[in-house]
Amino acid sequence: MHSSHLLWVQTLAVAQRLLLEQWRQKRGLIFWAVFPSAMMLLFGLVYAHNASMRAGLDAAAAGILVGAALFFSCLGGTVAVIAAERERGTLPRLLTTPLYPAAYFIGVVIAQMLLALMQVVMLYSIALLIGAKYQGSLLLGGLILLLSVFSYVGMGFFLGARFARRSEEVVVALSAIGVPLLVLGGTFFPLEIMPQGMQAVAQINPMLHMNQAFKGVAAYGMDFHELRFELSFLLVFCCVSLALGIHSYRYLLGTDKS
Amino acid sequence: MTAALQMNGVHKWFASHHVLDGFSLRLEKGEVLGLLGPNGCGKSTVLNIVCKLLSYDDGQVHLMGESLSELGYRARGLVGLCTQHCALYPDLFPAENLHFFARLYGLSEKECKQRVAELMSDFELESFATTQVGQLSGGWKQRLHLAVSLIHRPKLLVLDEPTAAVDVEARMQLWRLIEGLRDNGTTILLTSHHLAEAERLCSRVALMRNGKVIAEGSIPELLSQIPGKALAKVQSEDKEAINQRAATLGWQVRQHADQISLLLPSTLSLREVVDALDGTKVSAVSVQAVKLEDAYLELVGDSSLIV
Repeated sequence: MHSSHLLWVQTLAVAQRLLLEQWRQKRGLIFWAVFPSAMMLLFGLVYAHNASMRAGLDAAAAGILVGAALFFSCLGGTVAVIAAERERGTLPRLLTTPLYPAAYFIGVVIAQMLLALMQVVMLYSIALLIGAKYQGSLLLGGLILLLSVFSYVGMGFFLGARFARRSEEVVVALSAIGVPLLVLGGTFFPLEIMPQGMQAVAQINPMLHMNQAFKGVAAYGMDFHELRFELSFLLVFCCVSLALGIHSYRYLLGTDKS
Repeated sequence: MTAALQMNGVHKWFASHHVLDGFSLRLEKGEVLGLLGPNGCGKSTVLNIVCKLLSYDDGQVHLMGESLSELGYRARGLVGLCTQHCALYPDLFPAENLHFFARLYGLSEKECKQRVAELMSDFELESFATTQVGQLSGGWKQRLHLAVSLIHRPKLLVLDEPTAAVDVEARMQLWRLIEGLRDNGTTILLTSHHLAEAERLCSRVALMRNGKVIAEGSIPELLSQIPGKALAKVQSEDKEAINQRAATLGWQVRQHADQISLLLPSTLSLREVVDALDGTKVSAVSVQAVKLEDAYLELVGDSSLIV
């Protein structure tokens, strides 16, 4: 089999396996759907039924999708995949096969992209039912979501390879690191209601720019030109995350071999 | 004839620890070779090098006549590894695990289906076709693990203590499966802590100590290196008297833990041994033909492996 064809076959095998495992873990699948749906419903209802906040409903829906749902699904999911491979001892077994490292990496990205797509459909269905609207370009929104998923998966590989030894650690680490980042990223509340000091700190939080980019297009109908700063930041962050992720994945292969 | 595996003067260091010290080994095609030795002697390092999980610092390794370093990624398609830890996906069914690994090895979809069906049948896994692997017993998981390691029809099967984590019944079943593979001409490199396993499955055995092979050959060849045809195992409170009597008779004495073993130059009956030791306060004595265990103790001098 030609090497590029083998790479493709292996990539699909990895992605399909991850999706099948996700499907079989019924309890995990329920929580995967319930958590962001509940967040969207609760925050959406608060915004929708409060006259002074109603204008912020569209932005809240966008923030919960990019900030909360995709963060836990794509970043948390990637860390969990690596921790599980380690715990089950399947990583050394994979290393005895001709599996290309790139095939594994891309396989995880594809699986996470499909899961993210399902989250987008699920959450925006709820958001639209509550009364939220998507205002801007679908193409630009899709691009931002794609960059966000890549960034999360890259960070997931970095955190998973470097820090997550056991599945239990994943939940604790994500809560400890993730929730403060979500709050500071303007996921649940607009940045304007935060104290000045917090606003300044939030500027260095990549999730803020990720949120602002998607909120800009989804809630305020902003175009590419208006979002050029957020998009540039997101693109750089995505490249850095992927580079860190690939580097950490190589580190992981080296440590698990020895 | 080209050897399945040829390792010459291989060295491996972990920091300052010299794990392999000029390790050499030749494994012929169709042969089952048992690599035995105490914990920490370097067995797993050898297997990891063969499976390309570890690099080596010096020496030469040839797989099917080609240098391992030149083979690169292709080497992975030539070797199948089965360890004692079942590295499988617990949420998938047995056939799904097999199918996943088949695709990693680049089997076409048609080949995948055929090979999966063949292994499911050969390893009698069909009755668990709709059972998630996490729900299988340890023995059945290991059976599947062995099947996975054969999915790509490897030229060399590496078994790293394959029955260490299963119960006696499962071990017997796995032995029968491995015997079937051996009888079909599969080349196998096996490590084990069960000398009975090596005795039953291996056509040749290499004994390792301190990172090198100290003796190798067929089991009769290794047994011939023991200075005795049979072994009398003796229990006595007066070990000195036993030693003196053995010296008088020209029998060599070996002591491992509390056990005194007398190496008999010819096969004697129990009556003859008891008569020979008369007057030495022997409380129990048994006579048996020398086994691999005795050769191991004689040549390696470590009783930690004996199971």
